[in-house]
Amino acid sequence: MKENKYIVDTTLRDGEQSPGIALSIEDKVFIAKMLDEIGVYEIEAGVPTISGNESEAIEEIVKNCNNSKISVWSRMNMEDVKKSITCGMDIIHIGVPVSYVQIYTKLKKNKVWVQRKIMECIDVAKSHNIDVTVGLEDASRADIGFLLCLIRELKNSGVNTIRIADTVGVLTPNRTKEMVETIKSHSDIQIEIHVHNDLGMAVANSIIGAKAGADFIDCTLFGIGERTGNCNFNFAMNKKQIRKIEELSYPMLQGAL
Amino acid sequence: MIKIIDNTLSAFDSCLPSKEELLTFCQLLFTIGVDMIELSIAAFEKMQQLPDRGKFVLRIEDISQMEDYPDFFRYVCHRQEIADKEIAVKVITEVRINDIREINKLRALDSCKELRIVGLDDIICEDFDVVVKDIFKTLPNCKLNLCPENSLHCASAIAVQWILNGEKEITSSFAGCKGNAATEEVLMALRLSMRHKPTRDLTVLPEITALYEKITGSSVSNKKPILGKNIFKVEAGVHADGLIKNPATYEAFSPCLVGRKSEIIIGKHSGLKAVKLKIEEKGILLPKDSIIEKILCEIRKFCTEKRNSLNDSEFIELVNEVIAYEGKQIYS
Repeated sequence: MKENKYIVDTTLRDGEQSPGIALSIEDKVFIAKMLDEIGVYEIEAGVPTISGNESEAIEEIVKNCNNSKISVWSRMNMEDVKKSITCGMDIIHIGVPVSYVQIYTKLKKNKVWVQRKIMECIDVAKSHNIDVTVGLEDASRADIGFLLCLIRELKNSGVNTIRIADTVGVLTPNRTKEMVETIKSHSDIQIEIHVHNDLGMAVANSIIGAKAGADFIDCTLFGIGERTGNCNFNFAMNKKQIRKIEELSYPMLQGAL
Repeated sequence: MIKIIDNTLSAFDSCLPSKEELLTFCQLLFTIGVDMIELSIAAFEKMQQLPDRGKFVLRIEDISQMEDYPDFFRYVCHRQEIADKEIAVKVITEVRINDIREINKLRALDSCKELRIVGLDDIICEDFDVVVKDIFKTLPNCKLNLCPENSLHCASAIAVQWILNGEKEITSSFAGCKGNAATEEVLMALRLSMRHKPTRDLTVLPEITALYEKITGSSVSNKKPILGKNIFKVEAGVHADGLIKNPATYEAFSPCLVGRKSEIIIGKHSGLKAVKLKIEEKGILLPKDSIIEKILCEIRKFCTEKRNSLNDSEFIELVNEVIAYEGKQIYS
């Protein structure tokens, strides 16, 4: 049976984090409307805690998009989650650092703290009837045992989708396959694959991830994003409509190229 | 032992540089970890003679040309019947497989000693391991070299996966300029995923990139993996914070490894820590946090209007303006 796969476009979040661009409210709404028109499943619209302008842009996107689900990105921080859920979007995506280097060096905490904190954040979002997806940041460098344990807890707390984030872009095709298949064999949670292009493998790893069982594939216009960028939407799908959107959004995004 | 053949120098025929530049390019390719360099006849004739160091492969149209250019380690040629065994061992026969459905055509080539398969772009859409096993079953007596092409933007991934599956040889080109895998991406991926470190030096990558741009008259994309000018620039607050605490949090490899350094850029997505760091870096006396927050607000406004990040002079000017304004407010 043919499986459906869904595109999550993160041009307005990860893509916009590229140095060299700064989108206005109008720019963000303009791009979101085009993505909405071609039926992109989910548009990650931004990070509301950045500024009042960013929250306003997200609210405008929510108002102007009829087809796509609109999501926002939030740190694993109670205040950020509370602020984010006021934007009226469909999904809040909470990023949880899962590799040891992120937990012990960046957060300066431990695994127990991380598990407790993410559950608290999920509870807050869920209490406002917002759908929550959780991003396993730096999952490609994390201990798989810890990931599986965390995923079980997330599923029990009502999270239906996790994002495998190859934050520093070190996955290879077979490691991507192995990771998705391992998670699939331990949980019926839905998987979103979010890969970076540091080794020039973002498109390949996204295809392999989807083939292995990931339901959602994260892409950006022109493949923009942190460092070398993300999976290029046009390269992954090769559709005329995407090339048209790229053509129209080029003046706003060219600084990131 | 893993062998990487780089065929960039068979792509320069329309823009052949000087003999010295060609020699330097060869030297730099060996320095980054390439095992063999493939040249076109035109490039070789421009070089006049082969460098003392390294193994070279000549791309020829016909086996008869081998006599005219006798000193090469190997010759790459499209499929030809070779009766002489001594000649046959020096030839890498090249065959194009556009689609995995064409793999059964390879059966006719099992008599070749060495075979380079060019293409196989769509292998990533199939079961990679099964296809590779099929190829080996079809060609049990051949030494195989894969030169995946990049029409689906997956060539480097295919080349790396080929090696990770236990195969030994691939063909790539610098920056993927021949429409195949990018040599530098393959080298870095093998270094990170299987600790393949051919005791070479990747810090010359900026030098070889500059030479490549000069020769071809083209620019390597700012976002090009390993080589791009902007790939070590960080703006997002959460990433900048991580980099300040420990660069390994957001770096797959140290920029120093490829002769570069990371740089924190101030823009719409910057956070307080990055702004503080930049203020100190520019030798400005650090104001109190409430003023830094105002600076951050102004940065976000300015960047959104400008649709860009700040350069250093804009940053200094903006910081000084906010500090002066806030100072006036206090004393007025």
